[in-house]
Amino acid sequence: MSDGSLDLLDDELAKARSGERTALAVLVQAHQRAVYSLALRMLGTRDLAEDLTQDVFMQLNGNLGTIESNKHLGFWLRRVTTNRAIDQLRRRSRLQMTSLEDEQAFFSTEDDADPMLQRHLRELLADLSPPARAVLLLRYQEDLDPADIAQTLDMPINTVKSHLKRSLESMREKSVGMQSARCEDSST
Amino acid sequence: MKKRSLPIFLVLLAPALAWAAPNPKLAIPEFTGLAQKATESVTITLDPALLAMAGRFLDGNDPQDAATQEIIKGLRGIYVRSFTFDKDSAYQQADIDAVRAQLAAPGWNRLVETHSRKTRANVDIYIMVDNNQAIGLALIASEPRQFTIVNIIGAIDLDKLHKLEGQFGVPKLDIDLSKTPAPGAQK
Amino acid sequence: MSQEIESRMRAALRPVAPPEDFSQKLLARVIADRPTLPKPRRIFSESARPLMWWLTASLAACLILAVGVQRHLEQQRLQQSGLEARREVVEALRLTSQKLNLAYEAVKNQSTSLGDEESGV
Repeated sequence: MSDGSLDLLDDELAKARSGERTALAVLVQAHQRAVYSLALRMLGTRDLAEDLTQDVFMQLNGNLGTIESNKHLGFWLRRVTTNRAIDQLRRRSRLQMTSLEDEQAFFSTEDDADPMLQRHLRELLADLSPPARAVLLLRYQEDLDPADIAQTLDMPINTVKSHLKRSLESMREKSVGMQSARCEDSST
Repeated sequence: MKKRSLPIFLVLLAPALAWAAPNPKLAIPEFTGLAQKATESVTITLDPALLAMAGRFLDGNDPQDAATQEIIKGLRGIYVRSFTFDKDSAYQQADIDAVRAQLAAPGWNRLVETHSRKTRANVDIYIMVDNNQAIGLALIASEPRQFTIVNIIGAIDLDKLHKLEGQFGVPKLDIDLSKTPAPGAQK
Repeated sequence: MSQEIESRMRAALRPVAPPEDFSQKLLARVIADRPTLPKPRRIFSESARPLMWWLTASLAACLILAVGVQRHLEQQRLQQSGLEARREVVEALRLTSQKLNLAYEAVKNQSTSLGDEESGV
């Protein structure tokens, strides 16, 4: 994000803090995709993701006075979303996928979508513990570096790196499995 | 009926109507415990996106690929779990019962239930029909050292399925959908 | 290979929009919760515009350069995925037909033995 647009959102934040509703609407619209996507991929179903997203923004409403900048807002939203999701997941056994309709909305559906990788990713997310899942999403959805992830989740940075390393190894194994199959196909 | 009651009535009815709509997708367990004991396991999960992708990589000039393309054209999912063990009775029927129980739900009709003394294989085939069209197929095959669960979602064209005869060794099934038996009627 | 996997994961995990109806309800609910205060005068920064244009143009140029390399990697990756999906479809249908055949054989054997019994009557 360029400096110009960040300034505008900082302005909107200041206005929202002073009670301007349209400014609050701008902030919600700017951040809802990230919050919703994080919630969806943490919790696995659309219904739970919608509930969590709503709870997070309602909580924001009561905490706007403590948010210093748009960057801080992003940090705050990610932290609250992941913490709430981890708490919910600890009360449930496993990431659950429901209908096919929900699965189709789980990942980006742009032109370069790879359904096979998406399936491997879905399997990986279902297998990971809630904190490890949060680490993966903060890295590859939110593009945070390990230090920022550690701060967001109150987790030692070495633990973050360890989670990332294992997740990447799992994905590599799945991709290697795919490549072996490709060799079989090519030889037949 | 009072005006005020009608919207409430519809709201109460909506979940029941949604629940009544047939859903051919089975909840198939991961069978992680059994997978660890199995000498071979096959887990196939093909959702609409993967089926579409597979379709693009099937060669229309190859008869088998072309027939496969025709079959999967109307499908929205193919789910397979198959486990092979190195000794008899390595799995319990109770392991499969969670899936079998779902086939007692409204909408599923048992098409065929076979028991073979020769192969000691039991094969149950269920079909879900909506508006005289097959929208789901479930197959449970249990053999002494193997069990297989197949769930196919979508507009299964049984004519095209049995035209695969000779391609995958699919037998002619002689299935007339208009004579789909009532649940529990077929023995 | 790691970089490629990571890049593909980023692509798959791009944020997705919530459903439109949910989005509208969320906004309405959040806004309804805030008290209304007089709107302060908005000041637009005119000097920010040339900077924005320059940044946008630079970003576009970088993207164009990156697209060529990325496209090649994506084609390779999509082909791998497609062949894997094809293999799975073929395997699924093969297994299904194998089990259908089991059922068919059982039915056929039963018909044959029934026929033998009838002819013996």
